[in-house]
Amino acid sequence: MGATAQIAELARRMAAVVGARNCVSDPSELITYECDGLTHDRVHPDLVVLPGSTAEVVEVVKLARAAGRPIVPRGSGTGLSGGARPVPGCVVVGLTRMRRILEVNLDDGWVRVEPGVINLDVSRAVSGAGWYYAPDPSSQGVCSIGGNVAENSGGAHCLKYGFTVNHVLGARLVCADGAVVDLGGRAPDAPGYDLLAALVGSEGMVGIVTEVTLKLLRKPEATRTFLAIFPSTDEGGNAVSGIIAAGILPAAIEMMDSLAIRAAKAATGLGWPETCVLLMDADGPVAEVEHVSARAIEIARSCGATEIRVPRDEAERQLMWKGRKSAFAAVGRISPNYMVEDGVIPRSEIARVLREIEAMAKAVGLRVANVFHAGDGNLHPLVLYDARVPGEEERAARLGGDILRMCVRYGGSITGEHGVGAEKAAFMADMFGPDDLETMQQVRCAFDGDAMFNPGKVFPSTRLCGEKPGPYRPHPAEISGQAERW
Amino acid sequence: MTAARRPGTEADAVLGAVPRLVFAPATVDEAAESVRECARDGHSLAFVGGGTDLGLGAPPSRLDAVLRTEGLSRVVEHAPSDQIVSVEAGLSLSALQRTLAGHGQRLALDPPFPGRATAGGIVAANAFGPLRARYGAVRDLVIGVSIVRADGTVARGGGKVVKNVAGFDLPRLMVGSLGTLGLVATVNFRLHPLPEARATLLFPGLTAAAARSLLVEARSAQLEPAAAAALASGGALELGVRFEGFAPGVKQQGDRLLDLAGKAGVTAERLDEATAGAFWERHDRLRESGTFRARISAPPSALPAVARDAVAPLLSALAGGGAALYPTLGLGFVCGDPASGPATAAAVERARVALVALGGALVLAAAPADVRAAADAWGAPPAALALMRSLKDRLDPERRLAPGRFAGGL
Repeated sequence: MGATAQIAELARRMAAVVGARNCVSDPSELITYECDGLTHDRVHPDLVVLPGSTAEVVEVVKLARAAGRPIVPRGSGTGLSGGARPVPGCVVVGLTRMRRILEVNLDDGWVRVEPGVINLDVSRAVSGAGWYYAPDPSSQGVCSIGGNVAENSGGAHCLKYGFTVNHVLGARLVCADGAVVDLGGRAPDAPGYDLLAALVGSEGMVGIVTEVTLKLLRKPEATRTFLAIFPSTDEGGNAVSGIIAAGILPAAIEMMDSLAIRAAKAATGLGWPETCVLLMDADGPVAEVEHVSARAIEIARSCGATEIRVPRDEAERQLMWKGRKSAFAAVGRISPNYMVEDGVIPRSEIARVLREIEAMAKAVGLRVANVFHAGDGNLHPLVLYDARVPGEEERAARLGGDILRMCVRYGGSITGEHGVGAEKAAFMADMFGPDDLETMQQVRCAFDGDAMFNPGKVFPSTRLCGEKPGPYRPHPAEISGQAERW
Repeated sequence: MTAARRPGTEADAVLGAVPRLVFAPATVDEAAESVRECARDGHSLAFVGGGTDLGLGAPPSRLDAVLRTEGLSRVVEHAPSDQIVSVEAGLSLSALQRTLAGHGQRLALDPPFPGRATAGGIVAANAFGPLRARYGAVRDLVIGVSIVRADGTVARGGGKVVKNVAGFDLPRLMVGSLGTLGLVATVNFRLHPLPEARATLLFPGLTAAAARSLLVEARSAQLEPAAAAALASGGALELGVRFEGFAPGVKQQGDRLLDLAGKAGVTAERLDEATAGAFWERHDRLRESGTFRARISAPPSALPAVARDAVAPLLSALAGGGAALYPTLGLGFVCGDPASGPATAAAVERARVALVALGGALVLAAAPADVRAAADAWGAPPAALALMRSLKDRLDPERRLAPGRFAGGL
């Protein structure tokens, strides 16, 4: 059978499981699925399947496996590292139809949801009762819980509250052989290995999650926000260190440099001086946050803040946060193109690292805007470039890579929250040695020995652990005659 | 580099299994070399730190050698301004806390036996205490590890920054694995500032239902206790709730909890520093007392059922026993001296049935041989046993690392 006929036959079988309209094989419709939020990296998938239940996911996995096709799981497709980018010859399994909130238990503080549920919808569902779901990636209005689990998503407030992995209590996983396994439980410390920890952040490489139990938090009694303006990121960085050194654990503490502020102003009309802005949330019991906020403001002033702005009401507070959260997209206003990086450094090195980034950018004739979660040293350098200028995109990519390597040199990480995905697989070898990576491969292969899920992501080499590159390889079941190739 | 070694004795036994050989490496390299030697010789091997949770799990089916981590006791790096520390496995918690306290910081973990419990052992045993209510478990505080695999390969995972999602999560995978996936050689932890103020409120003579109800009220009132522990040594519970942070917040939260208790008709007492210290010492002694210790878990809302159907039957089979329950977490320890092996084993089974029905579990953390003879350490195999076995096969294919000690016979 030729390749086209094979795909047609697989599509027919998949359609019988999920329904014809949930099986996408029309090339023009498949274009939507060629990339995720990392839009410049595209691969055309052969087939996209949108199952509606765990049972359908099981059948889809079995069919793909029997056909020797890799599977790329996909949530909302907002990831920024190409984690949901198709691989050649793959079946993309989209979980967007599985978006039911299955069970809410406020007595014990959890909610059980399907993977396609949007992050913000979890908080919305329990907000009236005074609860919320803590991890808050900037894309929380569109990104899915399944995607959050795959990427171990963070957000501005994870300094105090942790990442997705700290908030997942249980998960139902469809494994490579189609087995359905429940991990975690309703009580803490279920006996056995912490496979949930291996699952969260595994970037779609161990199976497909079809249910997730999430920890909910009671909303804090009060939140106090202030914005501090500094002459430069040197003073801003020192203020962050000072606040943390004073024993304060802010709910969030964010910084933007002059270029990022200029972009945010262009997008939102905010009247911030184009120097350095620090935005801090403290939350908790009223007396505690009043005290903490006042103390942090004192420290900011003593570190050279030229102005402190305290929002008069919730609307003004939201506007300040909008200025911060819109920064990524706003950069489009001051540059035709840009790349979003996601590196981590020890927070005490912020000022030094920012100066180094500036020098590196200047040396190659590019500009970098910096927006970052200062409290945990998570930088988001936005490398600005013009794709119409020959060679500039390559230079920008090189600069982005050099910045990540510098983060590793400072004892940090190549990704704080966006994941490794397709984009940073090559940089894993800068952060980890061959034995480290081989050990991680063993963990991955414990779940998926044939590397059927999302092959080619995260790891810099595809030859470890018996994994062979390329989509069309005979499956053991095929060799043994239990399944046929079509 | 070859580690110091000596013949094993009864004192080196792991759950009754006496090793023939004991390694005492002074460096991670020596530890790796010892593990490689065991791999060459086909020796089975267990890792021992302070020995405070050596009773956790089932006896290994064979044990040729023990590797003691006491020689690995260095603070590799402490970056106070980044609030992280990197330590070798054998460093005791108390020693670590002393170093950190000099910088106004701490590792927010308060498991039993802090003088002996080691960093590596705490990770391997997923040890915890009341502070887990506010600061999380080991998995929420560990940010990096280096491990020595069964074949002697040294591998790192995670890193030295709090925020990091690069690669598969080896650090958390090691948590609670009891040395059956590899030796935890070094650990990187996230640190917290020592609180400026703390205050404990005591609520004596509570029923489990009243304790649960008071804590739910506190949650509704958006109070954020750092720790809550309910001590039981007979009928009623004695609930201690601690607030930590800056003085104004600690005072306000204490006042409000007293108000809530008053409205509920619950007797309450704000403890001064000395009596608060005495309460938490009582708690510490209780969870360390006796030759028997079980870890129990259930959803927090099930506290009354846990007290009635699990704690009570266990305590009736233990002399001088008591329970330290963490009601906001759904966890606890039940400790004491078994009056008779078979009776205690029967109580374990009865308590386990009740806990499992609630969605929880009971695991033996210490028990005399006559209890173990009739009571399983873990209970029924985990639902995900096939995946766990697959993981074990990948990292320890010859099943030489404390074989049989872990859940599901791994």
